Amino acid sequence: MPLSARPKTRFRIPVIIGATVVLVLSLLSLSLKNSVILRKVEGVVVSFTAPGMDALSAVSDSLKQVWFGYFYLVGVQKENERLRQRLEEAVQREARYQEALLALQRLEALLELKRRLALPVTGARVIAYDPSLWSRAAIIDQGSSNGVETGQAVVAPAGIVGRIVETYPQYAKVMLIVDRNSGADAMIQRSRVRGILQGRGGNRCSLGYVPKNADVQVGDLVVASGLGGIYPQGLVFGKVTAADKKADGIFQEVEVNPTVDLSSLEEVLVVKTAKITFSP
Amino acid sequence: MVIPFIVFSLIGLSLFYLQNLALFPYIHLRLLSLLVFYISLRPSFSLAFSLALFLGLLQDSYALSPLGLHISGALALVAAGRFCRRRFLINSAGSQILASLGALAVQEAGVRLIMLLVGYRHFLLGTLTGMRGLEILFTALLAPLMFSLLRAVEHGLKRRGWRLAGTAGSH
Repeated sequence: MPLSARPKTRFRIPVIIGATVVLVLSLLSLSLKNSVILRKVEGVVVSFTAPGMDALSAVSDSLKQVWFGYFYLVGVQKENERLRQRLEEAVQREARYQEALLALQRLEALLELKRRLALPVTGARVIAYDPSLWSRAAIIDQGSSNGVETGQAVVAPAGIVGRIVETYPQYAKVMLIVDRNSGADAMIQRSRVRGILQGRGGNRCSLGYVPKNADVQVGDLVVASGLGGIYPQGLVFGKVTAADKKADGIFQEVEVNPTVDLSSLEEVLVVKTAKITFSP
Repeated sequence: MVIPFIVFSLIGLSLFYLQNLALFPYIHLRLLSLLVFYISLRPSFSLAFSLALFLGLLQDSYALSPLGLHISGALALVAAGRFCRRRFLINSAGSQILASLGALAVQEAGVRLIMLLVGYRHFLLGTLTGMRGLEILFTALLAPLMFSLLRAVEHGLKRRGWRLAGTAGSH
């Protein structure tokens, strides 16, 4: 090995490690300070990759329709070619009708919710999720160019989904109510006991700061109190699944299960009234 | 290095789409981590580093965690890969599973450490720890299959004359 190359090799690994640590720490530091540049970088990545997800989602839906409406049933009836052909056509038609019916039902429910809310809302489709276990977030296909802003509530017919935390021109990122950083003022509908609904990760929430003598029972509905200005008052967060009054401290532990299936969202509404900006 | 980077980035993007559209929320696997770890075992450090940055950024952009968390996890995998490639012979299925298990554990530890440093203490002993353990285990069990698929892609690239830099020393 030439002598001149030795220092270069000797310092290569420490330099790489040092540069990497500096890079990571700078990124984390900028991220925690809500850097505009990093948000723009995120926006560029989402804007470039989400259309692919959107298109693939549409293709997979069509393939699913074809699979369940055609291939899967092909082997079932073999005795009569003509009847089978007619059956396949009928099954395909039915699958399409079923899909259209389901979509209609979902949209009707959304329309009903829109009427009930009596607030300016915009419809959106959920096109992607954060598949990691570190956070619970979803991407919707409405962004700042459609008037979506950070802090706005996102709801579904069955209840509250979450709130907008990032907006990009065509897309927006939603923090689901089960995310560990999510918190909202909520109350038990029956007894009007108030607390803070906190995300617990996975598919769970808990209602915190509820005194031990407060009247909370399994099955009680937890609704938005309207305080905080993000979630419209009276909309449902979830149902109480456990209330432990024997827990340590002065508060009871109240476990809440969201009424919305947050892992299979399709269409949602963005409520365009919140003016509070989100700052993690 | 550009063509292999584009090819493996597209593979990573496809795996991300697969996870999002087909596997989520029922199956949790770290397929992107296996991809980064495999590339880290190959001779080209710059390819592994740039791929880790790109795939980490992709995951960070869709998550709510601070930007840099997934990048750090991916870089921890690169470090584990560079450590393993000079010390162990990772040819058999068993050794691939063990090496992946170790690398994924290093990634998990690194990510948790960073979460702790930036103040997300509740993640350290979260109730999802068992689920994460299973995710790591099942991902590691998939390593031989994933590695053979990626090796096939690598051979395809070589046949077209696009070599990963310094492939002469590859194991």
